[in-house]
Amino acid sequence: MTQPMRLSSGGRVDRTRRIEFRFDGQSFEGHPGDTLASALLANGVRLMGRSFKYHRPRGALTAGPEEPSALVELRLGARREPNTRATVAELFDGLEAKSQNRFPSLEFDIAAINSRLSRFLPAGFYYKTFMWPAAFWEKVYEPLIRRAAGLGRAAAEPDPDEYESMHAHCDVLVVGSGAAGLAAARAAAASGARVILAEQDFELGGGLLLDPAREAWRTEMVLTLAAMSDVKLLPRMTVVGFYEHNVLGAVERVGDHLAEPPPYKVRQRFWTIRAKQVVLATGATERLIAFPGNDKPGVMLASAAETYVRRFGVAPGSRAAFFVNNDWAYYAAFALKQAGIDVAAIVDVRAETAKAVAAHHLGIPLSLGCEIVDVQGGKSVRGVTVRKRDGSGVSSLECDLLCVSGGHDPAVHLASHTRAPLIWSRELAAFLPGKPVQAERSAGAARGVFGIAAAARDGAEAGAAAAEATGFKSAAGFALPAPDDAHHTSLEPFWEVRGPGMNGGKSFVDLQNDVTSADIRLAHQEGYEHVEHAKRYTTHTMATDQGKTGGIVGVAVLAAARGDSIEKVGLPTYRPYVTPVTWGAVAGREVGKHLVPTRRTPMHQWHLRRGGVFLETGLWLRPLYYTTTGETGWEPILREARAVRRAVGICDVSTLGKIDVQGPDAAVFLDRLYTNTFSTLPVGKARYGLMLREDGMVFDDGTTSRLGEQHYLMTTTTAKAAEVLEHMEYHAQVAWPELDAQFSTVTDQWVQMSVAGPRARDTLLNCVAGLDLSNSAFPFMAIGAGEVDGCPVRVFRVSFSGELAYEIATPAGYGERVWRAIIEAGAAFGILPYGLEALSLLRVEKGHVAGPELNGQTTARDLGMEKMLKKQGDYIGRVLAERPGLTDSRRPRLVGIRAVDPSFEKRLRGGAHLVASRDSIDSLGWVTSVTRSVELENWIGLAMLKRGPDDKGKRLYAAYPLKNETVEVEITSPHHIDPENARVRA
Amino acid sequence: MSAPEPRSVLAHAMPRGRHGAGGDHPVSIRERRVAVVQLQARKGREGDVATAIRSGLGLELPPPGRATTTGELAAIWIQPGAWLLLEPWREVDALMRKVDKACHEAAGIAASLVDQTGGKAVLRVSGRHARAALAKGCRVDLNARVFKPGSAAVTPIAHVNVVLAQADDAPSFDLVLPSSFAGSFTEWLLKSAGEFGYVIE
Repeated sequence: MTQPMRLSSGGRVDRTRRIEFRFDGQSFEGHPGDTLASALLANGVRLMGRSFKYHRPRGALTAGPEEPSALVELRLGARREPNTRATVAELFDGLEAKSQNRFPSLEFDIAAINSRLSRFLPAGFYYKTFMWPAAFWEKVYEPLIRRAAGLGRAAAEPDPDEYESMHAHCDVLVVGSGAAGLAAARAAAASGARVILAEQDFELGGGLLLDPAREAWRTEMVLTLAAMSDVKLLPRMTVVGFYEHNVLGAVERVGDHLAEPPPYKVRQRFWTIRAKQVVLATGATERLIAFPGNDKPGVMLASAAETYVRRFGVAPGSRAAFFVNNDWAYYAAFALKQAGIDVAAIVDVRAETAKAVAAHHLGIPLSLGCEIVDVQGGKSVRGVTVRKRDGSGVSSLECDLLCVSGGHDPAVHLASHTRAPLIWSRELAAFLPGKPVQAERSAGAARGVFGIAAAARDGAEAGAAAAEATGFKSAAGFALPAPDDAHHTSLEPFWEVRGPGMNGGKSFVDLQNDVTSADIRLAHQEGYEHVEHAKRYTTHTMATDQGKTGGIVGVAVLAAARGDSIEKVGLPTYRPYVTPVTWGAVAGREVGKHLVPTRRTPMHQWHLRRGGVFLETGLWLRPLYYTTTGETGWEPILREARAVRRAVGICDVSTLGKIDVQGPDAAVFLDRLYTNTFSTLPVGKARYGLMLREDGMVFDDGTTSRLGEQHYLMTTTTAKAAEVLEHMEYHAQVAWPELDAQFSTVTDQWVQMSVAGPRARDTLLNCVAGLDLSNSAFPFMAIGAGEVDGCPVRVFRVSFSGELAYEIATPAGYGERVWRAIIEAGAAFGILPYGLEALSLLRVEKGHVAGPELNGQTTARDLGMEKMLKKQGDYIGRVLAERPGLTDSRRPRLVGIRAVDPSFEKRLRGGAHLVASRDSIDSLGWVTSVTRSVELENWIGLAMLKRGPDDKGKRLYAAYPLKNETVEVEITSPHHIDPENARVRA
Repeated sequence: MSAPEPRSVLAHAMPRGRHGAGGDHPVSIRERRVAVVQLQARKGREGDVATAIRSGLGLELPPPGRATTTGELAAIWIQPGAWLLLEPWREVDALMRKVDKACHEAAGIAASLVDQTGGKAVLRVSGRHARAALAKGCRVDLNARVFKPGSAAVTPIAHVNVVLAQADDAPSFDLVLPSSFAGSFTEWLLKSAGEFGYVIE
């Protein structure tokens, strides 16, 4: 339980407190302030995972979010999360982590044989190997490849945690809280701008966290910023995408550093930030050098080694070698030396430099003008082979840690998302962000300004400039860190160790996807010369780390193969997200039934209590039928429908769209909107209306009432309510701006209930006051106003069921009260509430069209409604409804169908095809709606049939090959009952 | 006989009392029982309508993005030439009659009026964390520098079209919701306020 590699002092971990955690079943201890990687290293654990393709042993290459190798499964059970980077996972008490991609164990992994077979598994191997037989692909090759190649396992159970979204606005968003970021935020905030500072780490400070001498400045900056109003400091928040209009996406890891989020807290929060100006102070990422064995546990980027020592107080090894091409890496060597770690040698590809002299004075052995050609050791580095760059002087060096630095790449990902160009810097041998396209600027190392003091100055200027661009004058300054010499640095571009005398080992340019420099050359050799092609052929930079540590190295290898400059080859395009984002964060609260909002009618609670079984229709919840007695199948539906046919039923039809239309031109507007005429409709009457789309197809239908000379109330189908209003607004604003008509949706204002059946009038006579409902005073299609139980109601004598029926409307707040009053009034007649199923049964019996017939592909004539097309006057869809294709006499038309066999044995199905004989496959039409009939005691339906009504009386077959069913049917009128419409007028 | 008080569609969605996390500044949520009338000027009659409302009701109709109040009567701009008028509920049609009278007397038929009392549910959300709770679904910038008492917006929050108006700088916000969506919206709101704790009054 000791931490053998924990240094006795230094770093930001709290040694007074211990945190217990488990890795691959073994218990360890760490301290608050540790990451999983730093705690594992403190315990001497270096082997953290196996690689993707070759199952090579891997450890932590980095100490940050760019980590390609140390990916683990975090947590257990439903909270298990694969591919978590150990280098950023904060240690918490009880943390459980498992290594990935190994079987049976991390130490001994059978699939590591892939590494030996690698000459048969080059880049693009599966494009070549698994080509034939074609039938093998789905059943054999793909499952095999998927099983072999997967990294980690997702949890199978639903995620028990919650996620949410957050919208934020600011004048200046600063991404990154290193010296540049803190200074930018401070400068912007001091001028009065609203500032958000986002930092992916759990501590603010970036590179400042490595230097105790800078701690005072860091603390003062953080405290000052925290105390300023309208400054938001957001640690644990990664800005993952930069989108159009200066909108940025970010993920805040609210509860990831805890075993479980506390009550009422989410695990992660997805932020959408609208920033007037953005300062990208995202720092830089150190890059690797390609040489054989550059992926072994114990090979680490120099800056990572420095971070483990100085931030976490951990010795990443006891005897370190360095392989470098630049001055910055010397600071890491000095840090290790200072911490008492033996620095065996600095192997610098360059000749004598000032930094080398400094190292020499510290007693660090130097191999200048040298390179490393091999790394000894399997699951941990044991030593390296060094030689002069001309190939001479080969020697061995014992070490257990190899710190590599190939230079630094400014983290230009976010700038690049904006499509800002990337400009090659010869001096830094790196791409820098070019001229901004959106309102953003980079500062500090993110644009190649290195060193704490220089970056802070750069950040302060960027922050002030950003604030000024949003209209704030820069205010009094603040102290910047004391100058240092870190910005005076030099580098010699060096990408790959090559040449004769190499052992043929793998030189990786992408550790996560196991892509080697040889793979890149193979891609080039096979003609994939463009960087985007080579990327896809080799999968270079396509892993979750997007090649942050070796992307440019692969590009350099490709450039060399092409004989071009890196500048010309360019980087593959960076796309969001910068680091992986969980589905939970993307989904937020919109999961399960919360994917969309739910609409409920004011009678919802009543329906629930009465045993309503609900159906989602669009966003609405509507009762399908009511049952409390355990009835099954069709029983409740038939019971409800019979009540309507024989006595009286009541149905909640509040979901029908209702649109209030007013204005001097309301009548003209409706005349143009509907195929039939509404200007002639008397006040106090309702009329059925049909609407076409501009293309001549039927759009929607409903009854529309005239409440006043300039006042109509339209109803639409439930499904099309919003579309119809949009259609009307469009025509009012674009096509006929001269018309004076006002629309407003009143769907939610009015509860509507249909009271239908031979005893409907009797029921209403018992409860409606102030309205003469006698047949003569209130005939079919009459409308009027009255009161039920003291509540105002509108009464419409319209019928969908084909029975004597009324629709009662009342303001939503009276809905349940009126509903109850009507049920009480109808109790003597046996009133029953009926749901959507019975409603549908009744309308199919009556032959009224609904959604399955109004499917956007039918014309008025197809539906037998050609009489609704007025001869005089224009209306939407009139011209295109006359197209030859729409008036073709061979188009299928609406008919009724009835099963010939009167037993209910053979059911009809919607979607069945109508054919002339049992074995015919020549479809004459299709069945749109079916039901069991209560009136005919048979299966009946509606169908679209070629020749249509002309075939009335003919016998055809409804074939449903999916279930191997064929049912003989008779073609009838769609109006299965009461074709004379006598009942509705009774 | 005058009609009874309408029943709230949120009766089942709003358990009274203190809920969610502990904390000194719970979000306060209550339903306002108000009458709502939608006022739409007829073509070219915006000026007449404004004059009529000013002289008849003493209320200045607000420009886009604003809400105005006089006494207990409030107006919120919702679209070109259209406003929602809100007033505590007294009796059925009272506000309709009042607005209708004001319009008619001053300007003849200059506007189309629609009663939306049943079509809308109005929530008042207040307190130090009200902005943060709303920001979880609201794209409009509610920061005090930008959105102040008298500011209003028509915007989707949690997929629901909401008319939003700031009442005071507690801050308090009035959220005018389509009543069929109100229950579903409230579920979202209570979740979003959970981390701060909330009191349903």
